[in-house]
Amino acid sequence: MKNLILYTALTTVLLMSPFTAQAEVDFSRDILPILSNNCFQCHGPDSAQRTAELRLDQEEGAFSELPSGEFAVVKGKPEHSALIHRITSEDEELKMPPADSGKSLTEKDVALLRQWIAEGAIWNKHWAYVPPQLPALPAAVKGWKQNNPIDLFIQARLQSAGTSPEEEADKATLIRRLTLDLTGLPPTVAEVDAFLADTSELAYERLVDRLLQSERFGEHLARSWLDAARFADTHGLHLDNERSIWPYRDWVINAFNQNMPFDQFTVEQLAGDLLPEPSLNQRVATGFNRCNVTTSEGGSIDEEYYVRYAVDRVETTATVWMGLTAGCAACHDHKFDPLSQKEFYQLFSYFFSLTERAMDGNALLPPPSVKVPSEAQVAEKARLNSESMAADQEVMNLLLNADYTDPFTGTDFPEYEKLDKVWFDDELPEGAQPQGNTPWEFVEAPEHPVFSGKNSTTRTGKPEDGITQHFFTGAKDGPTIAEGDILFAYVYLDKDNPPESIQLQFNDGSWEHRATWGADKCFLAGRDFEGNRQKGPLPETGKWVRLEVTAAEVGLKPGVKLNGWAFTQFGGTVNWDQAGTVGAPQLSEEQKGSLAIWEHYQKTVNNTAPDNLDKIFEVKAEERTEAQLAELKKYYMENVNPAIAAKLADPRKQAADFKKSLEDLEKAIPATLVMEDRKEMRIAHILERGEYEKKGEPVESAVPAWLGSSPEDSPKNRLGLAQWLVSPTHPLTSRVTVNRYWQHFFGTGIVKTSEDFGVQGEQPTHPQLLDWLALNFIESGWDIKGFQKLIVMSATYKQSSRVDADKLAVDSENRLLARGPRFRLDAEVIRDQVLSVSGLLIAKIGGKSVKPYQPEGLWKPVGFGGSNTAVFRQDSGEALFRRSMYTFWKRTSPPPSMSIFDAPDRETCQVRRARTNTPLQALVLLNDVQFIEAARRLAEKVIADGGDSVESRVNYIYRSVLARPPSQKELGIVSSLFNEHLEEFQADPEAAKQLLSLGESGRNEELNSTELGAWTMIVHLVFNLSETVTKG
Amino acid sequence: MNPLLREAELIQTRRHFFGRAATGIGTAALASLVNPELFGDQPQTQLGSMGAPHFAPKAKRVIYLFMSGAPSQLDMWDYKPQLQDWYDKDLPDSVRNGQRITTMTSGQKRFPIAPSTMKFRQYGEHGTWISETLPHTAGVIDDLAVIKTVNTEAINHDPAITYIQTGSQLPGRPSTGAWLSYGLGSMNANLPSFVVLHSTVNGGFGGQALYARLWGSGFLSTRHQGVALRSTGDPVLYLSNPNGISGTMRRKMLDNLAQLNQQRFDEIGDPEIQSRIAQYEMAYRMQTSVPELTDISDESQETLDLYGPEVTKPGTFAFNCLLARRMAERDVRFTQVFIRQWDQHGNLPRDIRRQCGIIDQPSAALIKDLKRRGMLDDTLVIWGGEFGRTVYCQGGLTMANYGRDHHPRCYTKWMAGAGIKGGIVYGETDDFSYNVVENPVHIHDLNATILHTLGVDHERLTYRHQGRDFRLTDVHGNVLTDLLA
Repeated sequence: MKNLILYTALTTVLLMSPFTAQAEVDFSRDILPILSNNCFQCHGPDSAQRTAELRLDQEEGAFSELPSGEFAVVKGKPEHSALIHRITSEDEELKMPPADSGKSLTEKDVALLRQWIAEGAIWNKHWAYVPPQLPALPAAVKGWKQNNPIDLFIQARLQSAGTSPEEEADKATLIRRLTLDLTGLPPTVAEVDAFLADTSELAYERLVDRLLQSERFGEHLARSWLDAARFADTHGLHLDNERSIWPYRDWVINAFNQNMPFDQFTVEQLAGDLLPEPSLNQRVATGFNRCNVTTSEGGSIDEEYYVRYAVDRVETTATVWMGLTAGCAACHDHKFDPLSQKEFYQLFSYFFSLTERAMDGNALLPPPSVKVPSEAQVAEKARLNSESMAADQEVMNLLLNADYTDPFTGTDFPEYEKLDKVWFDDELPEGAQPQGNTPWEFVEAPEHPVFSGKNSTTRTGKPEDGITQHFFTGAKDGPTIAEGDILFAYVYLDKDNPPESIQLQFNDGSWEHRATWGADKCFLAGRDFEGNRQKGPLPETGKWVRLEVTAAEVGLKPGVKLNGWAFTQFGGTVNWDQAGTVGAPQLSEEQKGSLAIWEHYQKTVNNTAPDNLDKIFEVKAEERTEAQLAELKKYYMENVNPAIAAKLADPRKQAADFKKSLEDLEKAIPATLVMEDRKEMRIAHILERGEYEKKGEPVESAVPAWLGSSPEDSPKNRLGLAQWLVSPTHPLTSRVTVNRYWQHFFGTGIVKTSEDFGVQGEQPTHPQLLDWLALNFIESGWDIKGFQKLIVMSATYKQSSRVDADKLAVDSENRLLARGPRFRLDAEVIRDQVLSVSGLLIAKIGGKSVKPYQPEGLWKPVGFGGSNTAVFRQDSGEALFRRSMYTFWKRTSPPPSMSIFDAPDRETCQVRRARTNTPLQALVLLNDVQFIEAARRLAEKVIADGGDSVESRVNYIYRSVLARPPSQKELGIVSSLFNEHLEEFQADPEAAKQLLSLGESGRNEELNSTELGAWTMIVHLVFNLSETVTKG
Repeated sequence: MNPLLREAELIQTRRHFFGRAATGIGTAALASLVNPELFGDQPQTQLGSMGAPHFAPKAKRVIYLFMSGAPSQLDMWDYKPQLQDWYDKDLPDSVRNGQRITTMTSGQKRFPIAPSTMKFRQYGEHGTWISETLPHTAGVIDDLAVIKTVNTEAINHDPAITYIQTGSQLPGRPSTGAWLSYGLGSMNANLPSFVVLHSTVNGGFGGQALYARLWGSGFLSTRHQGVALRSTGDPVLYLSNPNGISGTMRRKMLDNLAQLNQQRFDEIGDPEIQSRIAQYEMAYRMQTSVPELTDISDESQETLDLYGPEVTKPGTFAFNCLLARRMAERDVRFTQVFIRQWDQHGNLPRDIRRQCGIIDQPSAALIKDLKRRGMLDDTLVIWGGEFGRTVYCQGGLTMANYGRDHHPRCYTKWMAGAGIKGGIVYGETDDFSYNVVENPVHIHDLNATILHTLGVDHERLTYRHQGRDFRLTDVHGNVLTDLLA
């Protein structure tokens, strides 16, 4: 009964204020939130919305004389303060806040305001904008266990709330909690056994140290950082094509594993490229602010997107480092916090001058990017380079030692032959798929004009049909275009019904090679470029005319191969016949053996020689200097002479092979998006209502001064911004960061709204503890691992998480921490956990993202046809069993089993995940193949290693998954269920086989199906326990 | 009421219930856990943040037929006969008035006017002009409020569709259906309250992309995001039992699971455990309620005929319209049917006929079917896309063929049912269907009106995020009272 009274008291306290009961009113804690919520809309920082010339967000405004002659606040005199009059007025016209604002003050609010004024109206800044002050440590509560100062703060609060902490959790619970928290994976049975067996006082600390050294630590901590960084594998907007930025993800993992201090971690990500002589790693780190979503949607306006990208970077940077909701000030002065619109655009200016393009081109690596070779690749590149140089040298030596005398001495140069190479005539080439507005129509003489062979094709287009055509694609063995090639076709335009326009189109994989005759009415009308050449007027009608166009002028490059051809017209009747290419005449091998003949050919037929030789050709043979002769001969021997070429063939091939290997290696080296500033910085402007085309006053990069000034000598660029953020006097960075770590372990931050430390954010439950932690973190040299250790060593963290009904009734969210943390595991941890306990998990760290199982047909219904992520192709083998943080993240259709468990969409910065409990989650755990397969794998281990009795096997399963043995009751339930499943599978062995065939890893065929099936069912049951998906 | 407090209260109720229950919990008790009567009028899983609507709603539910890619208002609804005289003449600068246009046509030397090739006729009591592409829709015109002056600021698909669906051109905000789920909760404990259907075009998908954010929950809890019902594989992801696990085995497993979880609860006392027990039961019930929903074998031949020949093929627009009606019957709050491939930059006359051929009969059938079942009175149906198309031609222009670029300044959508006046045409555009001359309807106004029909004041359905109270309509939106019956 005594307890009940205590808790009733506690309830009252909690309802009154989220803080301990304190008699005195504190402006920042008690008054500012009231003003912000109810008054700032019209009397706040936003100058555009301000009315009655009253400003309540600033001390000056509250105490100065109003136009009416009144004073809003008169210190010590509530009865003379207009504010009190207005909020207590009965007159609808005068009453504040006005009825139509939808806001109203509670009696308690009014009482607090009155009390505050009566106590002298002491004004101070919002708590979060004042640098943290080192608080005195509270006295230890006797009889309660304290491990470090965290416990002093937490327990002082518990004591004043009339409650008490829980006992330390048992060791099995602790090792599971700690291992999940520090590595995102559960402990193995052996690890549990070792910990239980270690009875030393240092056992727990040793465990902490071991886990902090695990490479899994970096992965796990990186995961939530990547939520904040909005890291993903696609661009996010429109086509949502793949992007390569995973080396940045690996950088984050490494940084955490190497315990990079948080200040360095900050500077490198925001401005690594601006450090003196930045290392490759420091440049990779800047991927943080290249993770934003980008577009390349046709029709988009560049200016608009430059602005959007910079806005996103300001919002993200402000949220992650300052818990500041800067985005509000993009359109107008912030309504609640002191951030003006001008200050927003000063921040914006830091991110407005990148060398990136507005349109990402749907490319894997929209510039700027850097290559990130592995060590092995660097070594291989060096080897290939030196081999390649040696091979070149050998070719050079052979050339130097070669001798040449021209066998041809006459003046009677040969004729060079030039031939049509007909590609198709009378029928389509092999493999061609005929298509068209109407099918191909072949007609014969004498009723119809035919140029060669037995037929021609014809088409009549009506003017209202517009463009009509017949064409084919997919032909095999089409002509390969060579230097100087010409394309030809024969055409016959009807005398009485000529078309307005005709067009030939050639397909080398794309149709962007067109030539048009007549009116400009066929495809790509109005444009004359490589994709569409205007060739002049229509040919004469009523006769066969040969159309010619050079391959070069329609953009067909030497080496490409044709597979399609289109005959297009606008109206009229047209016949087409024989088409193909004309190759430039070639020299025979024998002719090539003569320098004189080769020179003659160059001069008269097809000049492919470089410009420097052209100049020599102009000089008469007998007037050439020694140097000119040598130059000509050198080129000829190196490039033309067949005999020398034969001698050089092998060494040249070798050299080419090395070059090819180098190219292949170069292509295989991954690359990643980075930041880089333009040489000439763009001028940022204040944008009216945030609209890109409404430019106001120009602004320069600067930090909001009310949060502290920049360190001296810091540059006026992103590096300066980063240095300002991590300067030890910055009021927010450390608080915001330690709060996120607190949230990681306890589920909720000391400030619950970890994304908003502003006036509208929630007040800290333990403000002094927050300050103490923030200063401690800075003092430690921003030691991230050290900070994690500080938290997990506390008695607060180690408490049992058993939920006491009375405590629950008054503090359902466990904000006071009268018990240990207990909440559902994150999406990735839930999957990684079963992969780990089943032995399927692949330990490899980093690399390109992978595509494990997901239900079929998810990308297709949403994907743009031309997107390279329109179709999901599942990986196989090891890729199915990597940690979930490596799963390929397509932003417009994220992996469903992750989304269902509240993984954010990664389109925008996210520093706090939701934690829901839904039927769809039950369906994932019940039916996703990943969980069935993992259950089967663990069942195989159970049969091999879990002893022979049902009891010992159930024990093995519980210990593997939950780190604890089952209770007698649980053992009873599970054992009898096992027997029932066994009977069912014995009755229907086929069902067991079906179950065991799920998943690509393949079952152990030596094990009895019905038994393995029944154990699979049991493991799967344990995977579905609430306890399994909960950290307790 | 503060949602957090409500949550705590509900937990209390559940705790109370379990506190009284005998040790162990069997199927019968589990079934009653989600039995509405146990907790008064509404089952505990279904309350929204608002508790009750702000005022008496006309609509209980919404079916939104979304034409992704932007159908041309000029060839379906916005009849401009005088444009025939303007063929291939340039759009007067005074009409365009410096309005920004996409970079797909901003480089064009000319903006030649392309009059529609479609024949228009007047239908219904009010003589509404409708083109020949929509003969069936014309037949239900007296039930529709045709709005000719919908407008937006976005000129490209991704920002525009994100805008109309979430109230912001940038990713990150909750979609309309998610707001409704958050505010009003769900009416059916066995089905999601927000369902999304994707339609095939000629057996395949393609066209402008869609994005999970269009039915996402943004900063709201993910439980409010739309569930995409699929036409192949499991209709709801992970719905079917794995091969080899029979229904009886599954049931047995769930009973034992509940028992083990309940034991854990007895030891640990965490109400989340009980919530999870309940979620497993709901999952189990979805395993029957969803297949029952998508199995249309109990529909009469006459009903099937109403929706047209494609109705029996899962994934078609016709099938999805029928499914939407079935969901309305089961009180799914918000059903959104997407169909793509309306982005006709070229060959518009041909392609728009194809699209209309697909959507016309089923859309009209949905209206008729709801009406004859008495459900049109409390079901709001909306039709339309993310923006309109230009009067001027993109690419080659002939009398018979043309393309149209994106046009945000005016386009047509229609609404029907649930408190919306039938048979009216709202708003007027200029002679070029380029600018609004009377009664502009911004997409925020449209969204405000949708919420209004459901008894939701769009200014009061808010969520505090990053210190600010966010709404679907941002700081804009006016309810279109002229449309309300």
